[in-house]
Amino acid sequence: MNQSEYSEELAYPEDNSGLWTSCIARVAEDRDKAAFRQLFDHFAPLIKSFAYKVPALEQPEVFSEELVQETMLKVWTRASTFDANLASPSTWIFTIARNMRVDLLRKSSRHIVNTVSIHADDSNDDSLDMEDLWFEDENSDVFNQLVQQRTRTMIRESLLKLPSEQAFILKKVYLEDKSHSEVAAELGLPLGTVKSRVRLAMTKMKLILDR
Amino acid sequence: MNNESKTMVKYHPDARFLTDFSAGTLPRAQALCVSAHLHYCAACRTRMRELTQLGSELFLLQHPAAPSASAFDRLLGKIEVLPPQSSTDATPDYPQKNQPKREELPRAVAKLARGSLDNLSWQKIGRFFSYSRLPVSDAKHESSLLNIRAGSRVPHHKHVGDEITVILKGSFSDSEDNYGIGDFIVRTPGETHQPVASQNEDCLCLVSLGAPIVMSNWLLRLLMPLINRPRYG
Ligand SMILES: [Zn+2]
Repeated sequence: MNQSEYSEELAYPEDNSGLWTSCIARVAEDRDKAAFRQLFDHFAPLIKSFAYKVPALEQPEVFSEELVQETMLKVWTRASTFDANLASPSTWIFTIARNMRVDLLRKSSRHIVNTVSIHADDSNDDSLDMEDLWFEDENSDVFNQLVQQRTRTMIRESLLKLPSEQAFILKKVYLEDKSHSEVAAELGLPLGTVKSRVRLAMTKMKLILDR
Repeated sequence: MNNESKTMVKYHPDARFLTDFSAGTLPRAQALCVSAHLHYCAACRTRMRELTQLGSELFLLQHPAAPSASAFDRLLGKIEVLPPQSSTDATPDYPQKNQPKREELPRAVAKLARGSLDNLSWQKIGRFFSYSRLPVSDAKHESSLLNIRAGSRVPHHKHVGDEITVILKGSFSDSEDNYGIGDFIVRTPGETHQPVASQNEDCLCLVSLGAPIVMSNWLLRLLMPLINRPRYG
């Protein structure tokens, strides 16, 4: 298993949520390009890395640059919708990047190869973007900044302690654009094994409650 | 509803569906079903936020990759030429910060229907069923809306592929349980069941079917015993 593409030391960068929150606020209120540059310098390299992890891209450099542009452009236009009570700056930007990655992939040739239309009349593809399927963080008293912080601490602490086989699969699912089925096929494991490893990891992080 | 338990969603997507959805890797027709369930289920929306937090933590652990030297300047160039209205804010339906309303259609379905189910083209099969195939499909699944007239019984049938049903209106029951609005019901190949729509109202479902099954053939086979005149033969 090649894990070198992920940080070996598994150390989180310093938590600068407060700084990023104020940068986003300055972008929203003052159209402040210096603040935008700060956000860009920190997040664009992470977005580019995230784009590069998609397997079998025809033009990874072109795709990655496009994802950086499209994501950061949304950060600029949507800055006024950011609410630190609902999401941390990094979760907000990750969500934009993830939605944008899905949409760009769907519109690229990769999509045409992977999803052959079953019906001739399917050529008029639907207009749904990820934003139409996704639910923005909502106002509610069960999810506030405090809960958000607690969840983050819990995730961070348990992520570092996960057995490597579980962390490895989580990274494949979240970063490499692979579904459970695709991870199972790639690793030559039964789908049930992949499902149970993810489930074990989620249980340790208390993210999935047994119902 | 006066009875709180009546409004509770009982059947939820499992960890795999939620994780793949939050990672953006769930096949599209299935993602539409999870999205519809989330419209009705605050508990799963909370799960989804937590799973997205997990994704963002993994995102932060990556080795950064430097963008091209001109990337920021190109970005500023794009910002300069943004039309005034889009330079400050979002489309009106974004973001969705208020709790979705249970009596409304899920946002994605409403968008596909351009606001009203009457805008969709519905195929009638017999007197009791109609369906509208939605243009949301992927390599392995397609999706449809299925309307079952009150009190109608779907004939006993066997599933050949994975099938997800999310109830949008009304309710139905089978030998195992009663299912209501928002319930996310998964049937795997080989399982059989015989759903019956409740007596008092039609049941509207969003269905994702494993492909390659041509919807009309599947429905024809499914509903053949109910059709008096073989108009679609
Ligand atoms: Zn749920």
